[in-house]
Amino acid sequence: MLTHGELFLRYFELGGMASALEIEAFCLGALRPDAHDHEVLAHALNERFVELGGNHPVAYSHDDDPPDA
Amino acid sequence: MSLENFGVSITVDGDEVAVSVRGEIDPATAPAFGAALESAAAQGGHSVALMLSDLTSIDTIGLDIVATTAQRLSSEGRALVIRSAPPPILRTLTIAGISTEVLLGDDDSGARRLGPEQPTGTPRSRVTVRAPKAAHYVRQVMAIPADADVVDGSLRLVVALARATIGGADGVSVSLRRHGRLATVAATDRTISAMDAGQYATGEGPCVAAAAAGRWFHVADLGAEVRWPAFTPAARALGIRSILSSPLLSRDIPVGALNIYSRTADAFASVDQELAALFAAQTSLILGDAGVVVSDAQLAERLQEAMRGRQTIALAQGVIMEREGVDEMGAYTVLRTCSQQASQPLRSWAREVVESAARQGRGDPVRSSL
Repeated sequence: MLTHGELFLRYFELGGMASALEIEAFCLGALRPDAHDHEVLAHALNERFVELGGNHPVAYSHDDDPPDA
Repeated sequence: MSLENFGVSITVDGDEVAVSVRGEIDPATAPAFGAALESAAAQGGHSVALMLSDLTSIDTIGLDIVATTAQRLSSEGRALVIRSAPPPILRTLTIAGISTEVLLGDDDSGARRLGPEQPTGTPRSRVTVRAPKAAHYVRQVMAIPADADVVDGSLRLVVALARATIGGADGVSVSLRRHGRLATVAATDRTISAMDAGQYATGEGPCVAAAAAGRWFHVADLGAEVRWPAFTPAARALGIRSILSSPLLSRDIPVGALNIYSRTADAFASVDQELAALFAAQTSLILGDAGVVVSDAQLAERLQEAMRGRQTIALAQGVIMEREGVDEMGAYTVLRTCSQQASQPLRSWAREVVESAARQGRGDPVRSSL
């Protein structure tokens, strides 16, 4: 299980700059991450999925709609 | 610890297969117990006898296994017979809703083949399974994933179930130590929250004591209670007469208490006390699974690890920016793509980039994979 706290630590480790509260808000859909935050967050989640035997199911920002400027 | 004392053996005697269990049935030993019972049931025969004289405790997983096996045998026209269960175990089975009826030796088809530890004439119980009430409830609680985000929801369910199941309970709450202070995480009503709050404010009371000492505290009659003079007057004013606080442990560390309040003095019979202990044990399992208690040292270590990882990734980005002539974000994308293609954590990939740079370019993993 991945808690918001652990997700934040993973995101932070990967170089993310947002706060733990912002991460929770991204997850709940209350805030929209910018392209870079999306990228880092997606990768933090995907690394967890890879640990569980998955294969990067979370889309990166380049994979879907182009980021708003 | 439970594994050392645990033992299970199967003996076949004519039409009966006997399973003797020694020690505790808990999450560590339950799989072995379940496998033994299943293997005994698979051997055919009219009945499976559970010889419990050396069983010291059984948890809800064990109860579930017993109930499921009994149900299955019963549906096949066979029987699960419980023999020589010590009184506390027999009570636990009864509380769990596995109803028992005492059979005298001559009425029991297996009675003539009793082991030596079961003298003739000693009452035996035969399991006649109906819906195992409490076991069913606690199983519902156990089925909830142990994610910290749903822990509070699970605890709310625990207090509702405990309130509904424990005789004499007028209100139930769960207190947990968060950020170094006790707080009520779930309560059945406001009076109960106020009871908890009164204890936090005065720093005394059965809830505070149970959470601190890791053992249970029972107040049979608040009118006669002398241990917590600062707390008891307020409790009496709110109409509470008896309290039962059981400790909640996460990985053997006391982290809070399950509190049961009643407006009646002497409200909790021994059956209720055992049921409270069962709920507390189950709640402790949820808390342990969710890793509710994380020591400061563990957290510090995890933070340092994250900091080191972040630093390595930043260094690797610098190396790639210089080599590839890309910006910071572009370097991150290079790292991420390589990590994704190799199914390797980004941090270990970054470490390789940094190490290759330190070796002055030979065997550069970034270039070779691009």
